[in-house]
Amino acid sequence: MKNENKLKGRDLINIGIYGAIYFVILFAVAMLGMIPIFLPLLSVLVPILGGIPFMLFLTKVKKPGMIFIMAMIMGILMLLTGMGPWPLLTCAIAGILSELCFKSGNYRSAKKAVLCYGLFSMWIFGNYLPLFTDYEGYFAQRADYGQAYIDAVQKLMPLWMAPVLLIACFVCGLLGGLLGRAILKKHFEKAGLA
Amino acid sequence: MVELKDVSFCYGSDERQEYGENSLSDVNLTIQDGEFVLLTGPSGCGKTTILRLINGLIPHFYPGLVKGEILVDGKAVDSQELYETALQVGTVFQNPRSQFYNVDTTGELAFGCENRGLPEKDIYRRIDDTVSRFGIEKLMDRSIFQLSDGEKQKIACASVDVAGAQIILLDEPSANLDYDATLALRDLILQWRRDGKTIIAAEHRIAYLWDLIDRAVIMRNGKIVWELGKEEKDTLTQDALTEMGLRSAIQEAPSDIGLPLFVEGDKLLRLKDFRFMYHGAKTPVVDILDLTISAGEITAITGANGAGKTSLLSCICGLEKRCKGMLEFEGRSYNRRDRQKLCFMVMQDTGNQLFTESVLEEVLISLPKNTENEKEHAIEILRKLDLEAFLDRHPQSLSGGQKQRLAIACALASGRKVLLLDEPTSGLDYTHMMETADLLKHLQSMGTTILVVTHDSELIHACCTRQYNIA
Amino acid sequence: MAYSAEKAQEKRRGFLDPRTKLALVLVLALFVMGGLGGDQLKGIKTILSVLPFLLLLIERQWKRFARGVAMLIVGYGLLLAMPYLPGILNYLALMCGGILTRFVVTIVMGEYLIATTSVSEFISAMERLHMPQAITIPMSVMFRLFPTIGSEWRSIRRAMAMRGIRLGGARAGQVLEYQLVPMMTSTVRIGEELSASALTRGLGAPTGRTNICRIGFRVADVLLLAGCAFAIVVWILELCGVTLW
Repeated sequence: MKNENKLKGRDLINIGIYGAIYFVILFAVAMLGMIPIFLPLLSVLVPILGGIPFMLFLTKVKKPGMIFIMAMIMGILMLLTGMGPWPLLTCAIAGILSELCFKSGNYRSAKKAVLCYGLFSMWIFGNYLPLFTDYEGYFAQRADYGQAYIDAVQKLMPLWMAPVLLIACFVCGLLGGLLGRAILKKHFEKAGLA
Repeated sequence: MVELKDVSFCYGSDERQEYGENSLSDVNLTIQDGEFVLLTGPSGCGKTTILRLINGLIPHFYPGLVKGEILVDGKAVDSQELYETALQVGTVFQNPRSQFYNVDTTGELAFGCENRGLPEKDIYRRIDDTVSRFGIEKLMDRSIFQLSDGEKQKIACASVDVAGAQIILLDEPSANLDYDATLALRDLILQWRRDGKTIIAAEHRIAYLWDLIDRAVIMRNGKIVWELGKEEKDTLTQDALTEMGLRSAIQEAPSDIGLPLFVEGDKLLRLKDFRFMYHGAKTPVVDILDLTISAGEITAITGANGAGKTSLLSCICGLEKRCKGMLEFEGRSYNRRDRQKLCFMVMQDTGNQLFTESVLEEVLISLPKNTENEKEHAIEILRKLDLEAFLDRHPQSLSGGQKQRLAIACALASGRKVLLLDEPTSGLDYTHMMETADLLKHLQSMGTTILVVTHDSELIHACCTRQYNIA
Repeated sequence: MAYSAEKAQEKRRGFLDPRTKLALVLVLALFVMGGLGGDQLKGIKTILSVLPFLLLLIERQWKRFARGVAMLIVGYGLLLAMPYLPGILNYLALMCGGILTRFVVTIVMGEYLIATTSVSEFISAMERLHMPQAITIPMSVMFRLFPTIGSEWRSIRRAMAMRGIRLGGARAGQVLEYQLVPMMTSTVRIGEELSASALTRGLGAPTGRTNICRIGFRVADVLLLAGCAFAIVVWILELCGVTLW
């Protein structure tokens, strides 16, 4: 066999399959995020529910690069759906970190898989970034949402929320990873998918 | 030329050190250029495995242990990359829903050539050529989601044709097709015969190509048990085929069978004002003012593609909100919501109607609330349907026929009186088809009313007692 | 008359090059939804906000156009009605109105992009942007699978309604599990078959891929791209403190 570690057509298609499921879940949850109360919940729900397809995805990852590509595609899709270029940055960082993490477990370790997903989930923080980089400006631009909206968002999103959200993404990623593993054991392994 | 020399194979992977039983053992098969060979035999006999060995999906996509040599035009398939094999071999798969990479038909035709990096002009010319030879002008530049299964399968064939490989593999291409679409597929295969292509088909439904083939290879348990040449195969009687576990070699249109709709003395079931239209459609797909069907019988629902057979089942089952019809049964009128509790539909994708983690659980959640001894009750039902050995299995890991039986078990558990089935025998071999027929007869004897949408004439002969043909 | 794929492709050719649409989505995301830029961009933003609707009309996407306009009307209607509504309704109207009016434009642009771009057009554009296959292949698979996931999901929901499943205590988590797991199972199965079929047709060959899709910049593209560039230039100048008007 030549060049074992090169990504082949099948690996790339696998990224597409699991990426599609992950994105559909993300998109469905993001619809909830339109209501201010749910905005911080994005960093909770997406990592937790997304853990189900992602853990299944990791059972197909045996070569370097697949996790990173998955992250970058999420970044590109966020760009296309109007979240701006910020997620691309966090996707790149989270992608590299989770890639390295899973690699250190030889693409096999279950513990590293959960940790890997925790790290991967941190890309979601990129969607909140504009809220914190230019805190004053962000709300000034959103004045036409009305004061009530701003009040609601501000109550939910004070500045100290930044690290909290980042950590929430990570911790919920770990939880999602555990949930994903549980579902993997309960369903997918028995169903012959993993 | 395709050569298989002493080929044995079992699925599994090195990594898990798990190997199943041999899917193939010591197969020797040589197929000359321009020959049309049919591989047939019961499910799991290894015919699909042979195709996968020839197109290289084994071992590149489905891992496993290959012994022996597989040569296509003298090249060893397992040691070259899939995209190299793609130049020599084209494959049409079973499931029309899942073999398209593009969402539009023209892009799908071009796909193989684009991957090879052929110049655009060249691809246009090839597409035009295929389109005119196959007569599929009407299907061009359409979304694949708007095509019927038969049309999708035509596009799949055309896509293989545009790529221009000399060897064409057909992996149960007719499994999801109705009678007319199967005849259309036959025409395309005839076209390839004229072009001198080498064709290797794996099929249960042998009737539509029985008179076209040069050789029939009949397999069982991973071995070739008979090889019949052109003359030999024609001497086979129907009984001999049945003995080999094969389907009928005679084509018969299901609409020609002509069973009665109901006879004097039948208990009746009446449908009133069943009209249903898809969003944006101009004519209703279901349009029934008043229809009487026999209750307590097995009624085959037949009719051409797009006659609205499946939609009719959904309407009867109460799944279409915009269908306002009423159903009269045993002196009661059932509106849409009532019908959801009266009827149970076994869908074509049975996997989508099974939700839980075990076969037993699946039946348990179907039992009505406060059932006494529910576990014993559930096991009793599963015993009736031959599923007792699988209590702890995951529903999604069952075979197609088993999933179907499990869905029926759920219908029984929830006490439905009307059972609707959508193409229950598509892709099933003779034995499994007969099992389904026997099961339906058994359910009928228990008093269940059964409606079967089917294009399978053999199934109709085997178990149906009434017929409703949608004109 | 004999079918000609070349002519058909030319006829089907989108009004805009997918790359132009991408640029528009990006610019709209930045300025209209993301709210970058101050007073100087107000006029440009208004023009940008009208664009997606105009494009839908040009491409005869009547339904999408109507839906977009309806959402806008509802949004502004809510904002107008807001002062006359009592307490909590007031708050809700403001919120929903605010969100609708801001999001609709980008949503409509996204819809336009998706409705008028075929997968092959999209891949073709990505290839011309020199995206590696490692990105284009997974993304094309994703676009191919989205409709499939939708239809599998609907089929599962229908099956659930029909099964009349009794949910012990109706735990939300369990309902979700019963829907998500079969949805994922069938999507993965379809994906695997898709994969097998694509590989037997040479996907992933290292030779440069060609594409029969006709894309390329024409007058409308050039104008719109120039418009996008103009908006960005004005924004950068504004950031540097240059006042244009």
